[in-house]
Amino acid sequence: MRESRVVIAGCGAISAAGCGIGPLYAALKKNLSGLRPLEKFDSPRFQSKMAGAAPGIFDDENPAWFLAAEALQQARESARQILAEIPAERTGLVLATTKANIAALERISENRPCSVIARRHLQANLLAEDLAKNFGARGPVQTVSVACVSGLAAISQGEKLIQRGEADAVFIVGVDCLSEFVVAGFSALKALDPAGCRPFDAARCGLSPGEAGTAIVLVRENFAADGKIKIRGFGGSNDANHLTGPSRDGSGLAQAVRSALKSANLPPDEIDFVHAHGTGTSYNDAMESLALKTVFGDACPPVIGAKGMLGHTLGAAGVIETICCVLAMQNDFLPGTPRLSVLAEGAPKSLLREPRFGVRLKNVLKLNTGFGGMNGALILSHE
Amino acid sequence: MNKIFIAAAAVVSSADLPAARLGPRFGRLDLQSRLALLAVASLKINFGGFARDRTGICLAASAGSLTTDFNFWQGRDSVGGPSPTLFAYTLPSSAAGEIAIHFGLTGPNLCFVGDDKNLLSEAADLIRRDEADGCLCVFCEVVSAEVAKIISSPPAATACALFLQRMNLETGVAISGSLHELQEFDRDMKSRCALISRTKSAG
Repeated sequence: MRESRVVIAGCGAISAAGCGIGPLYAALKKNLSGLRPLEKFDSPRFQSKMAGAAPGIFDDENPAWFLAAEALQQARESARQILAEIPAERTGLVLATTKANIAALERISENRPCSVIARRHLQANLLAEDLAKNFGARGPVQTVSVACVSGLAAISQGEKLIQRGEADAVFIVGVDCLSEFVVAGFSALKALDPAGCRPFDAARCGLSPGEAGTAIVLVRENFAADGKIKIRGFGGSNDANHLTGPSRDGSGLAQAVRSALKSANLPPDEIDFVHAHGTGTSYNDAMESLALKTVFGDACPPVIGAKGMLGHTLGAAGVIETICCVLAMQNDFLPGTPRLSVLAEGAPKSLLREPRFGVRLKNVLKLNTGFGGMNGALILSHE
Repeated sequence: MNKIFIAAAAVVSSADLPAARLGPRFGRLDLQSRLALLAVASLKINFGGFARDRTGICLAASAGSLTTDFNFWQGRDSVGGPSPTLFAYTLPSSAAGEIAIHFGLTGPNLCFVGDDKNLLSEAADLIRRDEADGCLCVFCEVVSAEVAKIISSPPAATACALFLQRMNLETGVAISGSLHELQEFDRDMKSRCALISRTKSAG
C-alpha cells in the first residue's frame, strides 16, 4: 500500500443549490432542497417534472460548456495562489461526464441551429480538450465515463496522474446537463419520482434528474498549506448482475468499499461519516443499505445523501457530492438528507435527516453506483 | 517485481457478428456492446483460473455512445415512446457492464471516451497497484453513417481486445499462458492487437 500524497486545493460548482461554493455551503447548512418543476422544457413523455436545475438562463446550444467552464473558473480562482507555482505543462485535466453536450444532438435532430463548437462538444473528449486548452492545463487530459461513478473515477484518475509523477496539479471537472434526452430516458424506465426524489424515505419511488458543473483542483501535497484534505483511497467494482438494476445483496458495493478501505489503510470504524449515493429509487437505496450493513455491521457511522437537494447529476454527482464532503470536513458539521421524512425499513438507523454542527470529521467515505453494475467508493482524510 | 504480459489479443468487426453465438441476450445488446463482447469472447480466456473480483475491465470508446444515443433519440416519437432498453446503452460504460455480466467479472472498471492511447498503461497500473491480477482492455470504434455526418468522422464498426496479466517472477510461474511482455513504450493498442492476432493466425 502506498501513501497518497494528493490533496484538494480548491473547488467550484454551479447546480440546483446555486452558483458558487458559498450557496452550496449555505444550502447544506440549512438542509434545503433545490428541486423544482422543470421550466426549461416539457413533454407529455415525462414521468415527472421535478428536477434540480442550475440557476440562470444560459446557452441552450452548449450548456455543458457553460456549466463546466463556470465551475472550473471558480475552482481555479479558489486555488490561484497554489496554481501560480505549478507550470501549465505539469497541470492535467480529467473530465467526468455521461452525456457531455447532448443538447447538440437534440438540436440537430430537430433541424434547429447548432454551432460548430456546440456540435464539437457532443464528443466528451473534445469538450475535455477544449476545457484544458482554455484553462491552462497542458499536461495529461483524460475523459472518464463510468456512468454515475464517473465523478469518483475521475478523482481517482487525477490522484493517479499526480502519484505517478505525470502532473503536479489536475483539474477534475464534472458536468452533466438537464436535457429532454435524459428525462425522457429515465421516464421510459419509469425511474422518476413524480413528487421529487426522497432518498432512503419509506415512501420513495424514484430519482429526480439534476444538472451541475463542478470542479476540484487536486495538487501534490507539498504545494498546499495546512489543514489539507487528502484523497486517501479509492475502490471500484462491478456487480456483474444487470445493466440497470443493482445487485440485490449489495455485495458489489461492499467490495468497492472494502477495496477503498484497504487502499486507505483504514478499518471501517475510523470512518466518521458516509455520503451515500442515495438516488431515491427503491432498489438503489435498499441495495446501498445492505452494502453498508455488510461493511459496518450494527456500527454504521452517520449517513447522509444530497440528491434531495441537487437531484441526480449523473457524471457530475461524484464530484459535487465530494465537494459537499469537503465543506463538511472544513466546517466541522454533518449535513442532513433533504426530503427524507420517514426512514425506510432496512435503512441505516444512523441516517441523518437534519444537519449536526460542531462535529470534527477526519475520514469520510463517498459512495456512488451506476448503470452497468458500476460501484465506486472514495475516502477523504482531513490532516 | 512483477512483469505484465499480454496474454491474448483479438480484433473483430460488424462482419463477424452474424456468426457470433454468445447467449440468448446477445441480439438485444446495442452494436457497441455486441462488438466489445465478441472481441473479449474471441480472446478465449478461461476466466476460471482468475479470481473474478481481481479481474478488471478498461474500455475506451472513440465516439462515446453517440451511435446508440442517435438511435435512441430517433425513436423517441415511436408508438411505444423512447426505448427504455436502448436508453440503458446510451453510456459508453454499458459495453463494459455487458462484459462483466457475461463473464461474471466483479473487479474494477475504467471507461474512457476518446482514443486507445491510455488503455494499456491504465490497465497495467491497476495490476501494479494490486487492484487486479488481470485486466481486459477493450477499444471500440462505433460510428454509424448518420453520426459520421454529425461529427465529421468516418463510419466505423470495430472492436479490439486484449488481456493483460501479472507474471510472478519470484516463482517463475505465469498465472496462465503468456505471450508478449508489455513494454514501456506500448501505447497503441489497436496496432498491438492486430499484430498479435496476425501472428497467432500465421502460427
